[in-house]
Amino acid sequence: MTHRKPYEFEGPAPDAAVYWTSLDDFTLQQSSDPAARDHLAEEIPRTALDFSDGVSRRGFMTLMGAAVALATLEGCRRPVDKIMPYARMPEDVAVNVTSYYATVIDRRGESLGLLVESHEGRPTKIEGNPDHSASHGKTDLLAQAAVLDLYDPDRARQPSTRGEDKRYADAEAALQTVLQAQAANGGGGLRVLAQPTNSPTFVRLRQAVLRRFPNARFHTWSAASTSNDREGAKLAFGQVVLPVLSLERARVIVSLDSDFLQTETGAVRNTRGFAMGRRPGEEMSRLYVVEPSYTITGANADHRLRLAAREVELYLQALAGQLVRAHSLDLGEISAAVRNAQAPQGVPAKWVEAVASDLAAHRGGSALVVGSRQPATVHALAHAINQALGNAGQTVRYIAPADRDEVDHGTDIAALAEAMGAGQVQALVILGGNPVYDAPGDLAFGEKLGRVPASFVLSSHRDETAERATWHIPRAHELEAWGDGQSLDGTVSIQQPLIQPLFQGRSEIEILALLADAPSPRGHDLVQETHRGAGVPAVIFNRAWRRALNRGVHVEAPNNPALPSIQGGAVAQRMAQRQAGSPIGRSNLEVNFLVDAKVLDGRHANNAWLQELPDPVTKITWDNAAYVSPATAEALSIGNGDMIRLTKGSRSVELVAWILPGQADWSIGLSLGWGRTKAGRVGNRKGFDVTPLRSAGALWFTDGVALTKTGATYPLSQTQDHFRMEGRPMAVEATLAEFSETPNFAARRSPTPRTLPLWREVDYSTGYRWGMTIDLATCTGCNTCVVACQSENNIPVVGKEQVSRGREMHWLRIDRYFVSPKSHGSDRDVEATSDPAVAFQPLACVQCEEAPCENVCPVNATVHSPEGLNDMSYNRCIGTRYCANNCPYKVRRFNYLNWHNDGVYQPEDADVPETVRMQMNPNVTVRFRGVMEKCTYCVQRIQGRKIEARRADNGRGRHIRDGELMTACQQACPADAIVFGDLNDRESRIAHLHRDDRRYALLGEIGTQPRTLYLAKIRNPNPEMLG
Amino acid sequence: MSFDAPIKAIGEKDLVAPKSTFKSITEAVSRVTENPAPKGWWIAFLTAFSFTGVLLGSIGYLFWRGVGVWGNNSPVAWAWDITNFVWWVGIGHAGTLISAVLFLFRQKWRTSINRFAEAMTIFAVICALIFPGIHVGRIWHAYYLAPIPNQMGIWPNFKSPLLWDVFAVSTYFTVSLLFWFVGLVPDLATLRDRAKNSLRRMVYGFLALGWRGSNRHWQNYERAYMILAALSTPLVLSVHSVVSFDFATSVEPGWHTTIFPPYFVAGAVFSGFAMVMTLLLIARSVFKLTDLVTMTHVELMNKIMLATGSLVGYAYAMEFFVAWYSGNEYERYVFINRATGPYAWAYWIMITCNVISPQLFWSKRLRTNIPLSFVVSIFINIGMWFERFVIIVTSLHRDFIPSSWGYFHPTLIDITTYMGSLGLFFTLFLLFLRWVPMIAIAELKSILPEADPHFGEHHDEAHEGDSHGEPALATSAEGH
Repeated sequence: MTHRKPYEFEGPAPDAAVYWTSLDDFTLQQSSDPAARDHLAEEIPRTALDFSDGVSRRGFMTLMGAAVALATLEGCRRPVDKIMPYARMPEDVAVNVTSYYATVIDRRGESLGLLVESHEGRPTKIEGNPDHSASHGKTDLLAQAAVLDLYDPDRARQPSTRGEDKRYADAEAALQTVLQAQAANGGGGLRVLAQPTNSPTFVRLRQAVLRRFPNARFHTWSAASTSNDREGAKLAFGQVVLPVLSLERARVIVSLDSDFLQTETGAVRNTRGFAMGRRPGEEMSRLYVVEPSYTITGANADHRLRLAAREVELYLQALAGQLVRAHSLDLGEISAAVRNAQAPQGVPAKWVEAVASDLAAHRGGSALVVGSRQPATVHALAHAINQALGNAGQTVRYIAPADRDEVDHGTDIAALAEAMGAGQVQALVILGGNPVYDAPGDLAFGEKLGRVPASFVLSSHRDETAERATWHIPRAHELEAWGDGQSLDGTVSIQQPLIQPLFQGRSEIEILALLADAPSPRGHDLVQETHRGAGVPAVIFNRAWRRALNRGVHVEAPNNPALPSIQGGAVAQRMAQRQAGSPIGRSNLEVNFLVDAKVLDGRHANNAWLQELPDPVTKITWDNAAYVSPATAEALSIGNGDMIRLTKGSRSVELVAWILPGQADWSIGLSLGWGRTKAGRVGNRKGFDVTPLRSAGALWFTDGVALTKTGATYPLSQTQDHFRMEGRPMAVEATLAEFSETPNFAARRSPTPRTLPLWREVDYSTGYRWGMTIDLATCTGCNTCVVACQSENNIPVVGKEQVSRGREMHWLRIDRYFVSPKSHGSDRDVEATSDPAVAFQPLACVQCEEAPCENVCPVNATVHSPEGLNDMSYNRCIGTRYCANNCPYKVRRFNYLNWHNDGVYQPEDADVPETVRMQMNPNVTVRFRGVMEKCTYCVQRIQGRKIEARRADNGRGRHIRDGELMTACQQACPADAIVFGDLNDRESRIAHLHRDDRRYALLGEIGTQPRTLYLAKIRNPNPEMLG
Repeated sequence: MSFDAPIKAIGEKDLVAPKSTFKSITEAVSRVTENPAPKGWWIAFLTAFSFTGVLLGSIGYLFWRGVGVWGNNSPVAWAWDITNFVWWVGIGHAGTLISAVLFLFRQKWRTSINRFAEAMTIFAVICALIFPGIHVGRIWHAYYLAPIPNQMGIWPNFKSPLLWDVFAVSTYFTVSLLFWFVGLVPDLATLRDRAKNSLRRMVYGFLALGWRGSNRHWQNYERAYMILAALSTPLVLSVHSVVSFDFATSVEPGWHTTIFPPYFVAGAVFSGFAMVMTLLLIARSVFKLTDLVTMTHVELMNKIMLATGSLVGYAYAMEFFVAWYSGNEYERYVFINRATGPYAWAYWIMITCNVISPQLFWSKRLRTNIPLSFVVSIFINIGMWFERFVIIVTSLHRDFIPSSWGYFHPTLIDITTYMGSLGLFFTLFLLFLRWVPMIAIAELKSILPEADPHFGEHHDEAHEGDSHGEPALATSAEGH
């Protein structure tokens, strides 16, 4: 913002000695042409060194005195590290040139197509693959964080037996010995426990293993099992198909305990479709959510019904009954079974009547979505209703998964545990997963594993399972190993490694190849073998293979998959078997096991980014908690932070309680995946393990749980303590009807003041003028952008204690506000807080044109760029923190300590662990302590694209085109809620959005003129549901 | 007409005890620096000195680990550090006010306390200057604040109030130091002349700058003193006004107010007088200076505290009124939150100490009560610290966007740094008491009857009899 000339010394006297560096230089200096001399002056700022004349003795002493006095302060700088250039340049590596490789990663049964950014052979950042139908260039938050999992310094570095380090050859020899022993009886004592898979290669090799060992058995277990989806489809259709949603076509969506926007399979695909359907206007979709605990999906609902998980089925039956009765929907043999179904007690009648008529009014344009926590009958009934409403084939399609043999996980792991307990298992190979930690508590899996004579565990860490097994083999990360995967919609892709395994890891298929005695145990060959196809000439296959690797898609999704038909009789029969339990209440609490948005089932527990990421709904970091509704908490006199004990029969867990508005009464939400003991330095003893309460028969919810307070309390760290908007225009919202009436309702609430500027205003009309919009109507609050930003910008992690001090470093945060139906409820008012709606607002530096931070910085460390960015120059910053105080958005983050050195891996590592350093984006400065930092609009990406654009068209250069340049948050956002671009390009998407009716400047009335505008949230409530 | 003519009608009192003479004053003040230190001094000094050690240790740890050793966070990026800074600067106000402003207004009663107050100013400003220096994140780059020509061609940002602060406080420090030293010269010469050993003679002789007490010396001295007083007077107003700009020019609700400059100056005078009172009452009893620092002084100072305390109370009320009257919801909320939010305890401590406690001084009996004056002065010191804490922390902790709201918890290092700065202050002050005349000998003599050239003459009916052989009285500019 300052318009001043740099300090200049006087020029040399005419007769002064000439300093020259080359003959050209000398000639130029002697030249009488002033233009040439000027050119030279620009080239060599020689005068700054020239004291031969023009400086008086006194002036010299003044300068030197000050310089010496102040230079002594320079004594305490950090040491300088030397870097080494390549002595010999490797082929295919261009220093400082980013390359991208296509691959896939498994996300709870969905294969998400990725493009991974790689610098000199190090994968640093994960993006979605635009050509892949599962991702469309977008990702979810776990995919964003996967790169840190790769570089986890706590990963096992070599195989081990009973804690003793071994070479890989030793482990393989031991396995071969066991296999040879098993070969005698056809593998009668051999069991393999694997995670569910969508890899065709895995399925092929499994068959090969079973051919070699016909008596061996494969078991499947995942704590975040999706078995209910399969079982429901089996029940409804008699075959294994999985539903794929096309929510962009749905006008009415009813979610039954399904977090389809965050934790369920296909969340990226669903979020994209959902967001496309949420564009405010005539075609805007409406979302009804019925669920026990607040999820991201519930937070995006237009109407949300909090209902204990066990009552969701009754609700769906009542809804089906209403559809049958009032809207003559034909459910075949099911019609009779549901015709007289009653909604569970306490469910308002309009939740049945209005929802049914909304569904009936949108036949073929609605969707019922059932979560994987709900039993098979709920899935089957929803399939039947979707078929009857004509939604099948429109909003829901059905695709057969890669692995059709998978059986119910709970039954399967129970069978394995029983066999282990009975001594029938001589050799157990565990491929991935961590059953000792996450198998249901009633199985005592860990103890039984100890009784298996030979057990081999393939896992990334020496975790709880590895500790009990005879052998542990490090598992290769997805970014290190070859593989393949089939997406929900049938797209098949190749998983291509970005880097050699860092710690001698092996993939599941490589171990399976050993078991199958495959000709080549190399992952690459195994995957090629699967996809080669019989009789295809090598030339053709190699071309297809290269194309598959290059594009990231091997087999396209089928266009019009066949519609399976409903077997109504079986569904009705199974529904009739349902036993009504005793009603839940004070002495009969329900507990729900929730798939955690951050650590899933515990597999990401050692990921520091995810640990520090605030939970999307509760904003709790580094812990999980038992979610209790305000009314239940009052009845049981529980407060936030109280330790409670939950007991079911002989099993109990102790954990901290958290009062969560919107939680169903007498139902307690428990997140899986916490309380790990052998996760690593980051994840150990974070949160509370709730698996002991889980049983193989009731994986997802159970009642008959008693709650007692232990009397202790436990501190939780949150990134946001205050959840009311205080009536301020922060996340501004309106209903669709209000929006149609007053399109610019949002801008009216915070008008930009018309005042005379204090100083000369900058003209931004030439060159680039960067701007951003964030659409609150489509933002689901999923947190993907937060991790994307962290990964792109080398943002440090500070740890639980520092978060509780309010020192988290996220440049981009997602504010979550509860919106109470009663306008003046206080926090203590149970009725007002029991059932609030939620509003999300992602907030990073909004790049004010009149930035309050810039005026107050005493050293000019934060200044404006000609393109309107509010730049931070870290080298100049001395850390007075004045800018942070004067930032009305409070988006500036200060390095109070040296977070990289004082971080979560200490004290074992005095410095940033070597592998974690490999993740760092080389184009972004790693900030030292004492420096302020904040969102830069990914200035490194802007500059990178500018350089490319300048070199484009054979060096003639051009402007960056709209869409060529994306910030990290924008690129990751599965809802496409963030748009960034050049406002001077009047035709760009951003320029259009900056003129959108819903736009508003957050705190615009201060006169900051932010470049980031928000598009107000629009809800689409059903008028019949109101009043 | 004489300025020194007493106004009996309004009940003026003696400024020094009756029967004080030139000799007795010189003796009373000088002996403190010449006799061995009393035991009490050693106890106090060693205590203060060990706290100075705590300060150095805390600062060392701060430099080693970073600002994170304090409790500062986001949104409360300034907390005790800047609170301490403003508090110390405020305390440093009374000195110049007493020396310069009261000097220009011919308030003769200042002579007993001005040296004291000036010394306190210097030491308080030293303590104050520590905090902006150490609170920065990268101390080794703090010199970026200075306008030094450099090869990067970057100057400090002259728009930043923090930079104005650097200049304002350092100017104030320089002028105060000069003013103090110039005033000291005749007294240092007195000590030199009384010195019994050569070391004292050399040191004091050096510091006395060759003072011989000649007429010309006195003339130059008086003129220089007057000029410095005139220079210092605007500084009294400017320093704390500029300090208040740190807050007033920001956009933060609770900071962004035009009332801040006068409000800060009034608060500064208030806290400065309170600290002078605290120190004076201790020194007076320890060194038995009751003849020189009389009840009149105590009472006059208490009156000033009552006046400035009421001004401050008025400012507090006005802030609330303006916040309500502005109709700005953020501004309103900040003030409601101050009085009723999580920091209400700090706010009510402030109100009790700053507004309520000085109201006791409406009663003559209470304002002439030494123990009570001491207690109230301590209360005001505490209250003024809380005033700065309330302004800084409660405004920051809940500003515009509710999601960013937070709370500040001090750490052990916060506390030790603050206690340590008190230790440094008292260390310097105790050294001052031991080695420098703590009361301006030459100036005090000027208010003795002997200093009057017409001493002993009958020239005015009104003065008949009473003034003979008696010291000068508290005076007023309207003397007849």
